[in-house]
Amino acid sequence: MSSEVIRVENLSKVYSTREGDFHALDKLSFAIEEGGFVSIVGPSGCGKSTLLQLLTGLLEPTSGQVLIDGIEVRKPLPEKTGVMFQDATLLPWLTAEENVAFPLSLCGTDKKESQRRARDLLKLVGLGDFINHRPAELSGGMRQRVAIARGLVRDPRILLMDEPFAALDEQTRFKMGEELLWIWQETRKTILFITHGLTEAIYLSDTVLVMGTKPGRIIEVIPVDLPRPRTFEMISSEFFGKARNRIWKLIQEEAEA
Amino acid sequence: MSKPSLIRYAILLALIALWFLVTAMEWVKPIQLPPPAGLWAAWQADGSRFLDAFALTAAEIAVAILIAWPLGIGVGAVFGSLRAVSAVASAILGSLFAVPAIILYPLFIAWVGMGPESKVLFGVIAGFFPIALNTLSGVRQVDESYVTMARAMGASRLQVFYRVVLRLALPSVISGLRIGTALIMISVVVSEMLASFGGLGYMIAYHRTMFDTGHVYLGILMALLTVLTVNWLLSMLESHFSKWQERGADL
Repeated sequence: MSSEVIRVENLSKVYSTREGDFHALDKLSFAIEEGGFVSIVGPSGCGKSTLLQLLTGLLEPTSGQVLIDGIEVRKPLPEKTGVMFQDATLLPWLTAEENVAFPLSLCGTDKKESQRRARDLLKLVGLGDFINHRPAELSGGMRQRVAIARGLVRDPRILLMDEPFAALDEQTRFKMGEELLWIWQETRKTILFITHGLTEAIYLSDTVLVMGTKPGRIIEVIPVDLPRPRTFEMISSEFFGKARNRIWKLIQEEAEA
Repeated sequence: MSKPSLIRYAILLALIALWFLVTAMEWVKPIQLPPPAGLWAAWQADGSRFLDAFALTAAEIAVAILIAWPLGIGVGAVFGSLRAVSAVASAILGSLFAVPAIILYPLFIAWVGMGPESKVLFGVIAGFFPIALNTLSGVRQVDESYVTMARAMGASRLQVFYRVVLRLALPSVISGLRIGTALIMISVVVSEMLASFGGLGYMIAYHRTMFDTGHVYLGILMALLTVLTVNWLLSMLESHFSKWQERGADL
């Protein structure tokens, strides 16, 4: 039986400004099933970051709700959702291992156990030889891998990713995508991936949600019917090209509107 | 031994040699600069009084540090994290810092007397501002994304503050501590020289009026050693906390 891990119902967020109310998000609804990989793409300013803050419980919705495992999100639920941002935001004085273990240290997990988990995860992301390196000694891609490991350390069912590879060069970015798919397959997490990259979104996901702007809302749901494992050649397939054109057209129309 | 420290010791030795030389050749009057033997004589005559004076000065400095550090860090951290008021608070602290604290010293004496309390008070006032200002700007400059990250990972507000924000602001806090502590030491010794019953500053000022140049220089030497020791301790603290900054090479 497939079950919904994330359910967003009529989610709205309105900011009051001097010029009047600003509708960042307007009645968003979608659901993600367990083990799914869903991407969100949209033009700049479509409220992607607001959505992520609502999903993590860092912001309160104006109306509507976010349900994770059937529970309404009102504050961060680190045991259910791991997060990762564009910036790796690793703490510079901690080693890779200590950075990965950081969320565990916040909730008082036994030190030996934290260490063991951090090491296992660093091995999973291919950094088994770098456990004692500090962030300054790691490359941009390696830092993002540490951040992935940190996002997984409390063994959440969901991983929320906010443009995690946006700051990386194209080659590294593609490799990180491959890596992420592998990790996803290994750990069976549910992933919500926010990105600006159309190719990246289609390549990685089961479903792409396209957002419109002013107000932020979902304008189309595009299922990606490509077999797994995904291969580089698929990017030049007919389906891939059509999907990418479709998303680009939608975003263009939104930007002009 | 590293090259810079070798050079430092060489300069120190050269200065001491120069001291022996110019006093032995009587190029300067003993009242301007006594020969090393003059200091030795002062030490033999009044060594225990100098030790008492040193103990008092050291205690005043220590108490002023114990008050000014937590006070400065606390005030700076609180105002630095209140985004709405931090700019205003920074401007106010900055202009108060620019007021020479010495003009208030007569008031301090009137309030708490000529004893050690007025020295501690003066030292605290002098040291507080740079510590608070540096802490404030350090906390303000912490990238908001670290706070978001820590909150999303389940950190409480207190944990965000202690485990992330304060730690990221630490280089700035420590540079505030260095400036603030230097000002505390200066202020304590200067205020002893102005009006007091004891301490190294008092010894220097008192013996100056007596033209006991040997005593004056002994006092100066002990004050110097005190300052250098505290500075050395501070640089140990600094290097302990900034190890992670040094290795910045990108792979």
